[in-house]
Amino acid sequence: MWTYIARRLSQTVIVILGVTLISFTALHIGGDPTFLYVSDRATNEEIAQTRVRLGFDKPLYVQYLTFIGKAAQGDLGKSLKFHRPAIDVVADALPATIELTLFSMLIAIVVAIPLGVLAALRRGSATDGSIMILGMLGQSIPSFWLGIMMIMTFGVQLRWLPISGHVPLLEPMFQGDFHTAFANLPSAIYYLIMPSLAVGVYSLSRNARLVRSSMLETLSLDFVRTARAKGLSEYAVVINHALRNAWLPVVTMIGLEFGFLLGGVVVVEIVFSWPGIGRLLFNAINQRDIPLVQACVIVLAGIFVAINLIVDLVYARLDPRVRL
Amino acid sequence: MRQFKYALVFAGAVMGVPHAVLATPAADTIVVGLSADIDTLDPAEISSRDASNIAEHIFTTLSSISVDGKVTPRLSDSYTVSDDGKSYTYHIPPGHTCSDGEALTAEDVAYSFNRAADPANNFTGNTPGFIFTSIDFKGATAPDPEHVVINVGIKSSMTPGFLTEVFIHCKDSYEKMSLEDASTKPVASGPYKLVSWTPGSEIVLQKWQDPGNFKTIDYRIIPEASTRTAELLTGNVDIITNVSPDQLDAIDNSGVARVEKVQGTRRMYVGFNQSTSFTGKGAEAIRKADVRRALQYAVDVPTICKQLLNFDCERATSLVNPPQGNPDLKPYPYDPEMAGKLLDAAGYPKDANGVRFEITLQAGRGRYLNDANVVLAVGQYLTDIGVKTNVELMDWASVYVPLIRKHEAGPMFFLGSGGGLWSALYDMSDLATVDSGPNYTNWDDPRWFDGWKQIEAAKTPEEERAVINEMLKVFHDDGPWLLMYFQPDFYGVSNRIDWQARRDEVVELFDAKLASK
Repeated sequence: MWTYIARRLSQTVIVILGVTLISFTALHIGGDPTFLYVSDRATNEEIAQTRVRLGFDKPLYVQYLTFIGKAAQGDLGKSLKFHRPAIDVVADALPATIELTLFSMLIAIVVAIPLGVLAALRRGSATDGSIMILGMLGQSIPSFWLGIMMIMTFGVQLRWLPISGHVPLLEPMFQGDFHTAFANLPSAIYYLIMPSLAVGVYSLSRNARLVRSSMLETLSLDFVRTARAKGLSEYAVVINHALRNAWLPVVTMIGLEFGFLLGGVVVVEIVFSWPGIGRLLFNAINQRDIPLVQACVIVLAGIFVAINLIVDLVYARLDPRVRL
Repeated sequence: MRQFKYALVFAGAVMGVPHAVLATPAADTIVVGLSADIDTLDPAEISSRDASNIAEHIFTTLSSISVDGKVTPRLSDSYTVSDDGKSYTYHIPPGHTCSDGEALTAEDVAYSFNRAADPANNFTGNTPGFIFTSIDFKGATAPDPEHVVINVGIKSSMTPGFLTEVFIHCKDSYEKMSLEDASTKPVASGPYKLVSWTPGSEIVLQKWQDPGNFKTIDYRIIPEASTRTAELLTGNVDIITNVSPDQLDAIDNSGVARVEKVQGTRRMYVGFNQSTSFTGKGAEAIRKADVRRALQYAVDVPTICKQLLNFDCERATSLVNPPQGNPDLKPYPYDPEMAGKLLDAAGYPKDANGVRFEITLQAGRGRYLNDANVVLAVGQYLTDIGVKTNVELMDWASVYVPLIRKHEAGPMFFLGSGGGLWSALYDMSDLATVDSGPNYTNWDDPRWFDGWKQIEAAKTPEEERAVINEMLKVFHDDGPWLLMYFQPDFYGVSNRIDWQARRDEVVELFDAKLASK
């Protein structure tokens, strides 16, 4: 297994190099970013000085290799807008995004599994049909539209939930301040409900459909019939035997889900004024803050690859047939 | 059972939250919803309008611009100008302090200026990047605690106005700070001090000296326009900036808030790039003043304002904001027949397909109010008179800005340029020289550019005014801009608050107060 982990980690480096190269190239395609960092009254001399100061005067491959060389030493450069180490800016925004992603995942799993199981058990019934229609709707509705509709309904009309903003939960925990984290918990959950639903509803719908189809397949297998023939209760048959076996494809999907949700938070973070890494990355791209974009990309890619690795390891643990 | 109790307590806590999080602001607090994040509060590094509006409350300035565009005293009560017009001596009355208790004297003022200009600090904010470039700042000294001398390289009646934008702070506190601390932990010289700043979320200021009617100002960052509107309508926010035109009616009909509409100072125009690097019949045509004048008649600007911006605007007569413009100039009327006749006379009749010439109109997307639709409308108006216009919309930051800044956008391009109310020259200085950065049209009419020498030689304000009026007439008749409008600004204001929006995008809250019932 350790050989497998080492091999995967070496692949991780290649993946991260790839995404940094793609994002670096994409950011330079439009032209010289220097103009975004000088006044429109700047003289040519001032523009040239700024270009040198920001390092944009060097050939692109030199800029990229310099960046990679420093990144290998843990230095991702300074944000051109915030004038702080880019990794610090990302670290400030990351906890908010992880909160949102985890809560969305929680909703996507906790709600999807019972719905999927219920639909499978009542196959062909009105309940099954309703769940599947809702699932299809959930996968079709754009998250930003859903977010705005929820704001209008639960924020403006009913006034049940806060419209925008964020109460930190993970950040105080990371700083060891569990007292503040616990005190913030109720408010944090209130602020999380709408954005998490907006982010997670697609995954929720997909998971419910996946659980349903996986359960249907498992329920038709011989061992389930045997379990029933042995006189086991329906609960024991469904939960202990069928669901456990139907679980494998769902685990794979849930693992990938984290990366998917992480990438999907950008729009929702803007709609709900959520101060996370998605919004930070969006602004950094607009302002051509290249060190900050690269830092965001590296962190996001790193998380995505790490989660994939963990999923593979968990998968092997759950299914003894899988050999790493 | 124990777990059940905990669950009940937790559920109770969660259920109790709505009252706390959905409460309207306290009577001594005003909440402002901003559309953009701010990245620094270092007085020398601030460049965005939102950051500047916050800094305005934290830092004092030598003087300020009043609502009607007059330079009025603030920290300084008077100033004198040297005979050569290049040294300004400001009097700083004693008794001022910063929020940490340090006395604020002329020495601190001089330090604030010199710190911003210090190349070692590599600042690129509005003060070093725009103000100091515009006045050719040479240095500041404090001969005594009550006088500061500011030396500039250019004699100009605009200098006092420019100096209103330089934020003043105390020397001792900032000398001790790292640049990173200076950017996040400002020491106030103005009436409010920073209490907390949660990047991307909220900035809270607290009043520690006059003026100001509210004890606390809470700036909340809400990037999405519809979310800002929702927060206003639920009473969680008192003022929101950049209201989208499609949400004006929803706010005005809500009964809890209103829209303050003002004609802003940002000058929106379609530039005629005169560069010879553009080839083709259209590019050649717009180098002729007759053609440019003809095209002014082809676009119905008031209708564009009404239909696309939800605002009744008056078409611009030049690049100068009213009331500083030439009062004798009248806006071009919408008269497509006249446009056609003038183009015929200029040698551009319609061909068999009804086309006089073909031209490209470029624009960035998403930077200005409803910009894409405005540009498409302009393109259609021009096409209607036989000028086949190909509209190219592109990403603002990555594609359009580099093109514009290299003076390569065009041959026609859509752009806005920030202006002011306090001086005609300020607005005109976009075209201070042929090589000026903002002369994106590469216009070189000597009648305009020679005017600057006459302004410098003018002995009295009246002489200066006469030259300005003459230059503005040249600009109106033969200029390089298809004159459009001054972009309106829309603010959503809760009925809880009495507050007047200004034309110059400055959101000043000193005079804001609770509305009388």
